[in-house]
Formats: sequence, structure tokens, C-alpha cells
Amino acid sequence: MIGTNHSAATDGADADIAIVGAGPAGLACAAEAAALGLSSVLLDDNPRPGGQYLRHPAFATAPEDPLGADARRLASLLAVTALPQVSYRPGATVWDLPAPGVLAVAEGERSGRVRAHAIVLATGAYDRPAPFPGWTLPGVISAGAAQNLLKGMRILPGRRVVVAGNGPLLMLVAANLLACGVEVVAIAEAAPVSPRLWRALPLLLSQSDLLMQAARWRYAFWRAGVPFLQSWTIAHATGADRVDGAVLCPLNPDGTRDGARARSFACDSIIVGYGLLASVELLRLAKAALHWEPQRGGFVPVRDAAFRTTVPGVWAVGDGAGIGGARLAEAEGRIAAHAIATTRCHRGDQRRLSDLCARWGRIDQFRRGLEQLFAAPLPPHGPVGDETVICRCEEVTAGMLAAARDGGAESAVQVKAATRLGMGRCQGRNCLPSLSAMVAREQDASPGEVAWPMPRPPARMIPIGALLVESLPPPNLPADPHLPRKRAG
Amino acid sequence: MPPPDPVPAETDVAVIGGGVVGLFAALFLQRAGRSVAVLERAAIWSDASGANAGTIAVQNKRHEVVPLTRLAIRLWPTLKAEYGIDTAYSRPGGLRVAASETGVARLRRDAEKQAGAGLEIEWLEGNRLRDCAPWLGPSVRAATLCPEDGQASPLVTGIALSAALRQRGVALCTHAGVHQIARNGAQFVLDTPRGPLRAGAILIAAGVWSADVAALLGARLPLAVDVNMLSATEPAPALLDRVVTHADGVLSLKQYGNGTCLIGGGWQGQGDVSTGTRALDYENLLHNMRAAVSVVPGLAQVQLLRSWAGFEAVAPDSLPLFGCLPGLGEAYIVAGARGAYSQGPALGAEVARLMLAGETELDLTAFAPGRFAA
Repeated sequence: MIGTNHSAATDGADADIAIVGAGPAGLACAAEAAALGLSSVLLDDNPRPGGQYLRHPAFATAPEDPLGADARRLASLLAVTALPQVSYRPGATVWDLPAPGVLAVAEGERSGRVRAHAIVLATGAYDRPAPFPGWTLPGVISAGAAQNLLKGMRILPGRRVVVAGNGPLLMLVAANLLACGVEVVAIAEAAPVSPRLWRALPLLLSQSDLLMQAARWRYAFWRAGVPFLQSWTIAHATGADRVDGAVLCPLNPDGTRDGARARSFACDSIIVGYGLLASVELLRLAKAALHWEPQRGGFVPVRDAAFRTTVPGVWAVGDGAGIGGARLAEAEGRIAAHAIATTRCHRGDQRRLSDLCARWGRIDQFRRGLEQLFAAPLPPHGPVGDETVICRCEEVTAGMLAAARDGGAESAVQVKAATRLGMGRCQGRNCLPSLSAMVAREQDASPGEVAWPMPRPPARMIPIGALLVESLPPPNLPADPHLPRKRAG
Repeated sequence: MPPPDPVPAETDVAVIGGGVVGLFAALFLQRAGRSVAVLERAAIWSDASGANAGTIAVQNKRHEVVPLTRLAIRLWPTLKAEYGIDTAYSRPGGLRVAASETGVARLRRDAEKQAGAGLEIEWLEGNRLRDCAPWLGPSVRAATLCPEDGQASPLVTGIALSAALRQRGVALCTHAGVHQIARNGAQFVLDTPRGPLRAGAILIAAGVWSADVAALLGARLPLAVDVNMLSATEPAPALLDRVVTHADGVLSLKQYGNGTCLIGGGWQGQGDVSTGTRALDYENLLHNMRAAVSVVPGLAQVQLLRSWAGFEAVAPDSLPLFGCLPGLGEAYIVAGARGAYSQGPALGAEVARLMLAGETELDLTAFAPGRFAA
């Protein structure tokens, strides 16, 4: 049943499918597509495959390595990059979708356009920025960055660490730190997890092994004497040149900090993880319809049951289309491959597809269970202080944002123009979510109702040198540079 | 946050368009004691004035507009002291480069004409050119240096100018696009989605929408629409210390104090004025970057941060439409000049003079909007 002769993509296309991102979703999509006889180009801006979840060191690790448990899964998924139907291109930054079925790619001497019949965006997620006084001090590290250090380089982010935030990733980071011998001073989880456990249990049982794993983490915290403070959050970090402590406090039911019951903890590092945001930059550039789902990563694409977006020929899977974890991402990647095979050459495997959809349904149950468990007010939990930097690239403080609002900036777009917030190297990823939350609070609206500035290519910074290599037809230059130009397209 | 300015019932002058020309005209009209309301279809400074390259150059302009541009170059540095308007203006001098035989010929021809119009222009080639600008690439054969060329930040200027106008009591009415204009004796009655306005005089300075507004009065203006692309880099180490323009018209390049390089030159994107949508053109963007790197090779190592496209209204001869709309009473227009951002303060000051006293400092009769009437 499963095809072996992969359809050599014809009519000028480089492959049947172009996949952006070689994390669990992208790798699974490429694997399933290959099994269905479809060719794919797998583009990833990391030097090695696996994405954030399967991040692994370039060097060999010892068998007793505390983070080695993922190694088996790694081997099977990472093998996808060696399949003959898969053209795996690491170090390739996709920076725009300049036309239907076309990706603009910066990858050194190979930079240019990739054409495919279907595009699958599996772009993953990044840490939600959560400004608080002291969050820019050296020693304050995001949960994702701490995982990078641990999983990718085996570097400890600190010796005595406070972990604060919200969601399952926080427990995972804390457990990893403990396993690596780091002293975890305290964990502040914004949600009241334990009292909700019984209600969420029926959903969580659908992935009982993950539930067991979480139970083992909680046991490890208990054994190590780590306070697991629920409905608590971080108030501020202390320290002159770098972090020397964290002040944690309980959350009031209205989502503000209860400063009267604050507790201080000495530490040399603070890991902060208030959930993840879906990387939807390419979807914004493609003008895909997005909707606001704060628990799933902010703005996420509108998708059908096969994970098609509203842009013809563009699919979105995995955390980049709504946070759901690695298992869900993998299932989505595979289902999308089947949907593409069906549209492309009526070559699907109905039984396999219905199995996959059933698996997806079970994992999604678990995801909904986690969502119930970890629902919590979004940061910031109260005023962040006028001196606190919101946009790190352009060094814009909360006070400067307030001044711009008082000065007549009506919208997030105008605040950006007035302050240069979001115009630096991170292209707004680490500050626009905070700005939109602040504007929403002032207008008593949902952040989903706050219009973001127009997305502008490139989706990620690219060296101008990467735009010099593709061979192009000669330009259409004006005969007289002063007269009106003849437009492209 | 203050609420947006309401549309007043009556005003001396209604300025249609909240861009560089309209706002400077409003500034000078207000200073002469007139009440002014600016009617802007979207947000203030949101179209060409906010999306342009901020080049304040004279030597890349047609010789017919050299006097007007020089008047503007006299005004730009005074705005801070006289009106408290920060523009981030600086005058590092400009190099207009040529890389081809035809480019060199054009450069020479233009330099002669501009010198004839009173401009100080220095011809540079060979060692003198490399000494003056060692950062230029080998493709550059010759350049002219004009000490009057400079740059301003459209971003900074727009914010400061709006604030100055608000402070002076000029109503900046956003989301108030004019969709009907009736004449009631000598008065104009303008309909906007935010209420009607009676005005003694009107100034159309609505960029690419100017022709649509003029059509409400039955006037036909032959404005073409360019969709110019622009790109900004990450803050980079010092790469160039002059404003660069190109004799083949394919490049404008400058570096701001924070290190950001702005790369433009009129490479065309795609866009549709009726829907307001505009997009980059992939190949033209690459051509634009290649033109930039061939002139300043150091740019190849710099990261591109963002690219965008903005509309520009251009008359068939690229010269401004400036003056009274014939037969329509106190209705004026300023639109259609290529690179009008440079001339913004001068166009604003001159049209204010025209509206107030019926005369201008410079002879601008050649730019009469009726010149295309067959």
C-alpha cells in the first residue's frame, strides 16, 4: 500500500512539500510524507535537527547522563533527515513567502527560493516575555533558554536556582535541574494545580505515562525539599550587577500580586517560564487568519481538521500552530502529510490516517487536561515599575510607554512608532506581547483585540549577503530615474 | 490616553491629509493666526511620510525644483529651535554615485544643470573619490559631492510635528477621510465619517489619495502611484558617513546615529491604492540589496531587519502640483513631487503664503496644477 517510488516533483517545484522546522512536527511530517511516496525539503535554521524538544549536544554523552532518556526517540525521529525522499537543509532561515508555494530562504551560498506544492509550517514556539523589576539582570534566564543550556550544551544555568512561571514546562525544567545536581530553592507556579488535579484526571489519564512522569517529578521535588508554591508568582529579582535573590509572592484571585505575603529567596539564577508563544511570523506574513488563544500561545492560526490554514497550500502543525507539546506536534505533522498526499495524488492510507487521528484525539485530551490544570492569569501580575525595560533591543521602559500613551499614541502601532519598541533585532518577539497586554488592560479589552503592527519581512534577520547569490533576470531599470516607475507584478 | 481630536464644526482652513506637506502647511497657517483642522483618512503620518527614506537631498532632484528644495534645506535645521520640532536632521553631505557609462554621463549633465541653478557640486573620481569615501565599492566610477544633502528621521519628525501642532491647537482629526465636498457660496462643506466641517479654504495634500479628493470637486489630476520599497538593517558598525544617492536612480542609502542603515532608491513593490495593500517584490528587493552592496560592499555582512513598501504619488513630469485648483475658489493642492519629503517644510510654508497672501517667495508658477489640462 505504501508507495516506494516517490513522486519526483515536476513543473519546477523542488519537492512535493516544503517543511519549515525540523522539530518533532516537521520531522514526523517528513517521515510520513516519505512513507507515502512524497518528497520533501526540510528547512531548519538550527545546525542540527530535533528542534527545541529533541535538542541534543553535538558531542557524545555518557550513558549515565541524566538527560539521556530521550535518546531512543531521538534516534528514530532524527533518522528521518537521512531518508532519500527528504532533502534536509540545516542552517536555512525561511524569511518570507513571496508567492504562493514559494519560500524565500537564506542559507549561505544556497540562498534563494524553494518551490513546493504544499508548505508545512512547523515553526515551534518561544518563551512568552514576562517583564518584572529585575528581569533584565544577568542570571535571569527563560525556561526555554535554560533547557537549551542543559539539553544542547550540558551547561548548568546556576548553582542555586529559583524557578517561577506557569505550565508543565516549568516542572520539567525544575526536574532537569534537580537531576543535574542543581539546588532548586523554590518553584513558584502561578496556577493552583493540586486542587484541580481530580477534575482534570480523566483527561490526563489518556497519556498515563506522562502523568506518571509528572508524579515522579513532584516526588523528586518533595524529596529534595523544594517548596512547590502554587498560585505564586515572581514579584522582582534582587541584585546589583547580577541576580542574588528572588522575591516571590502569592497571587490574588484577580491576578494581582499579594505583596504583603512576599517571601525572599537567595539564589544565583532565576528561571522564568510563563508559557510559550507560537512562532507565527511566517503565518502573519502569509496573511493567514489568526485567532487569540492565550493558553495555546497567543495568536494561533485558524486551521481545519487536517491542519490547513486559511492560506491555500499552507499547513501549520505543532507548537507553532498552538502549544500542545511534542506528542501532539508529531501527530499533527503526520496527519498533515496524509492530507497533502490525498490532495496531491489521492494517495492516502485511510486506515493509518484514522489511527493517527484517534491518537491525536487522545493526546489532545491530555493537552486539554493540562490546560485546565495550569490555567492562570497572564503576566504581568500587577505594575512592572516605570524603570523596568520592556523592549530590550531599543531599551524602552514601561515609563516611556506610558508617556507615549499620554502623548497621544492611540494604538500599539503608534506606541511602537513613538518609542521604537519592537524595532530592534528581536523584531518585537520579546516586547510586542507585553505591549499588547498593557494596551489591552488599559482599554479593558482582550489582548486578542489589540491590533499588532503590520508584519514586515524578513521573518527573521538575515545577512544581506544571502540576498546576493541567487541568479536573477536583469532588473527593469527606469530610463529616466526621475519619472514615475513601472511597477512590478 | 487623550481621545482623538473631534472634527470641529467650522474652521478657516481644512487641510486634507496628515502627512509632511499637510502638517507643515498647518503649522505655518496656524502661526499666521488661522484656525486649522487636519482631516486624515487613517492615522497621522501613516502613509508616504512615515514610510519614506528621510533623504533630505537636493542633488538627486530635477533642476526645476532645486530652489524649492534649497528653501526646505534652509528650513529643516531651524525647526527644532523655532518650533521645538525634533527631526533628527543632520547634513553630512551627499554623494551621488554613478557606476555605468550612461550613469556617469547623466551625473555630469545633471551636475552642470544643478551648478547652473546655484548649487555647490564637486566632481569626484579616481583617488579623490576614494579618499573622500574609502567605503565605496570598486563599481563606483564617479560621484558628485553636494554639502547641502542630508537626512532626517521620518519617525522622529512625525511624532514631534504632531505634538507641536496639537500643542498649538490644530485639530488633528484621524480616521476622517473626506468623502464629499460641497460648495456653499465661498465656503466648503466637507463630509467625513466623523462629522461634517465647514471651511473657508481647503488644501489637498493627501499624497496618493489627492486625485480622489480633487475628483470630489470635479478636478482631474494625472497622478501616478509608485510603490517604493525600503529596507532597514540592524544597528551596524560605521559603514558610510554620507547620504548616498545614485545617478541611475536605483539607490538611496544612509546610516543613522544608532547604526541603522536605510536602503531604498525607488525599487518597486506591489500595491493597490484602492485597498491600501502593498507588498514587497522579491526580485526587486534582491536587486535593491545588490545595488546597495555594489556601492557599499560592507553591507553584505550586515543583517537585514525589515523591509516595507510605501505609496508615493508622482505627477507625469515628477514635479509638484502646487497651487490653486482653477475655478474652484479657495481650493489648493500640493502633491505629486518625487521625493517630496525633502521639500516638505518648503512646500508647507509656500502654500501657506499662497493661501494667506496670494504670493510665494519662489516663483512656483511652473508647477500650476492646471499644466496638464490638454
